[in-house]
Amino acid sequence: MKQHGTCWLLGMWLFAWASCLSADTPGDEAQTLHLPAQAPAMKALSLDIYAALDMPQARPLLKAFHQRYPQIEVRYRNMTTLSLYESFLRKPQRADVVISSAMPWQFSLANDGYARALSKDVLAHWPARAHWRRELVAFTFEPIAMVYNKKLLTLAEPPRNHAELLALLDDQEKALTGRIATYDPARSGAGYSYAMAESRLSPRYWDLIAALGRVEAELNTTTAQTLQGLADGRYWLGYNLLGSYARAFVEKHAELEMVIPDDYALVVQRLAFMSAQAPHPETARLFMDFLVSEEGQRVIAEQTTLGAIHPDVTGAGSAAAFRVGAGGAMRPAEFDPQLLAALDRLKRRALLSRWKREFHQATHTVPAEK
Amino acid sequence: MTPARSLYGRLLIWLSLPLLALGSLLLFQAWRDAQTAADRAFDRLLQAATLSIAEQVQWQDGQLWLDLPPTALKMLSGKAQERVFYTLIDDKGRYITGNARLPAHPDGRNRQDTDTLLYRNEQWRGMAVREGIRRTRLEGWQNHKRFEVRVAHTREGRKRLATRLWWSSFAAILGMGVLSIALLLLAVCAALAPLTRLRHAIRARNPRSLAPVALTLPRELAELREVINQLLARMRRVRANQERFIGDASHQLRTPLAGISARAELALRQTSPEQWYNALATIHVTSERTSRLATQLLSLTRLDNPEYSPAPVRVDLNTHIHQALLEQWPAFRQAEIDLGVDCADAPVMVDATPWQLDEALNNLLDNARRYGASRVTLGSCREPPALWIEDNGAGIAPEQRLMVLRPFHRARDDGHGSGLGLAIVDSIARNHGARLELSNGENGCGLCITLTFINEVA
Repeated sequence: MKQHGTCWLLGMWLFAWASCLSADTPGDEAQTLHLPAQAPAMKALSLDIYAALDMPQARPLLKAFHQRYPQIEVRYRNMTTLSLYESFLRKPQRADVVISSAMPWQFSLANDGYARALSKDVLAHWPARAHWRRELVAFTFEPIAMVYNKKLLTLAEPPRNHAELLALLDDQEKALTGRIATYDPARSGAGYSYAMAESRLSPRYWDLIAALGRVEAELNTTTAQTLQGLADGRYWLGYNLLGSYARAFVEKHAELEMVIPDDYALVVQRLAFMSAQAPHPETARLFMDFLVSEEGQRVIAEQTTLGAIHPDVTGAGSAAAFRVGAGGAMRPAEFDPQLLAALDRLKRRALLSRWKREFHQATHTVPAEK
Repeated sequence: MTPARSLYGRLLIWLSLPLLALGSLLLFQAWRDAQTAADRAFDRLLQAATLSIAEQVQWQDGQLWLDLPPTALKMLSGKAQERVFYTLIDDKGRYITGNARLPAHPDGRNRQDTDTLLYRNEQWRGMAVREGIRRTRLEGWQNHKRFEVRVAHTREGRKRLATRLWWSSFAAILGMGVLSIALLLLAVCAALAPLTRLRHAIRARNPRSLAPVALTLPRELAELREVINQLLARMRRVRANQERFIGDASHQLRTPLAGISARAELALRQTSPEQWYNALATIHVTSERTSRLATQLLSLTRLDNPEYSPAPVRVDLNTHIHQALLEQWPAFRQAEIDLGVDCADAPVMVDATPWQLDEALNNLLDNARRYGASRVTLGSCREPPALWIEDNGAGIAPEQRLMVLRPFHRARDDGHGSGLGLAIVDSIARNHGARLELSNGENGCGLCITLTFINEVA
């Protein structure tokens, strides 16, 4: 059955995407968080959040919210983006708020009318580019970065941008063979969406892919795999890692260094929406309000590595600070219906076949796509 | 302001109602135009999006292939941030790709080779969407397979644009309406100004004056002025008639009174009782005639009084005829005139004022007795209800027949009659809406007077 085949493929791909985003979570940590109401005498209020946002990042945010509204019982479920998407579609009336970094999927849900619009005054201060129809709200700012091991310094200066990376790969083809790691767009949703965005930004992207192919770059499915390889010294340079997770990792490993390219840096944004069939619309509205409030955004900036985008939050950990650091090279993924194109099955096949053709150019052994 | 009470209000209402209806019609038209304009503007997005998707459709690996241009979706969404949907369908109607399975256009006939683009509004998955469907075919070297690109977006932007367009039309129409009503007020004021002038002119007149109104007026009011002038002319004639009547009456009364006075004076100079007796007899006859004249003058005045209109009652003509006959019988016998009756068999019922009816009968009989030679017949008939009186006297020449109805006109100047009898009968006939007809009697001689009660049921 062709239809089943497609579904299975999509499922695998989503799973790959999801696992890469939750890679930092230690396996033994609970994937649910339950914050009971502090004043049980009052009317019981509760809130169900379905999210693909790892506990270390989510916990400070939820705790701050719970401190603000102690009468609300918060139930948080962290899932992979795949199971989040599927379980939400199965029971859209269960979740109050849905948070995920799988932008095309979130966008698809909002486009299909599963999200409820927030009121105008809640988003009055919010940048127009960071919400869609007031239904879908981008509330983080997570740049895509390169991470290198300091062993690279024995060979050359670390690249500061894509052009320097391409030059480095061309110059040191022999020395770097097998020392570079990046996402496999065929197996990872994140890698696929970066490939799609980058291919549209510059035609020289394909030169870079060809160069990566020539140095026989390792193709991984998660940021965690690549980070671990870099820490182990197996890889000297990792290309296209999720900055919010890499930053926390690099801070713990002195031999690693993170570079945000200064020509362009892709930016991933977590998207949150309130379910149109939310069982607790009032508390859901309070949470969304909190998420975009200065208070909530300050928690994101100070206690997580997600990057706050509230225009009044300007200190370290804010989008404004990232932008200043990168000299205006930040390229947030277009937050509009163009995202839907990523979900087109033919589009995906077309992009992947091009990608493989370029990557395997050097070896002239283009394996047929499955 | 009740329309019936004010001409101004009437004019305003009858002019503003069509204006209001016209305004509503314009607003409705403006709404439709706004929607058409919004659809035209937004349909370009559908057109461009389908075109840019259709351009990317190829034949690859034995099937249709689409490298979806993301900008097509962005374009389709537009500034209004519409929800967007697209579907690619092959020549057999199979779904190739898309983020939704948009429904087909019901118009399936359009299967010729040309590139066609269809639009339609529909309610789909609980959303009001506009769907654009492009039917075209591959432009490859060999392959010319047909395919269909369907795109749809929600209609919020269209609604907003249409509403905005409509509001601007509404403002324009409203402004025009206010202006027209202001002009209307001025126009009505200007048009009614001559009426005010006429009113002032009439109010300023001397109440005794019956002179015609001389005022330059617009045509419609000039007609009114003419009517008023005609009325005034009639009043002048009536007054002249009244003056003449009073003059005639004074004259008629003065003559016998002067006679009585002269006769009395003459008698006073004489001494013989026989001569006194003769004088008294003459004075008696003259004063009786004068008294009768005064009575007739009184009743004529009473009849002509327009303020006096007694309610008619239903009476039988025959009863009144018989009563009049009994009253007049001795006088006829004394004058040796043959008085006959020829009444209808059944009662002849008419609406009349009884004393006026009696007055008319007495005057008719009195007249007939004086001028009717030897035979007088009084009668009635049922169809139509009428009473008639016929004599075999000298009659009245046809050209004289209208004249004798005027007061103090006598067909013959023999000094006996007062000249008021037929005028009274005529007045009574007019009061009853009856027709008074004078014609020749039987065998073409004598006079027949018929009083026909029109529109009466026996």
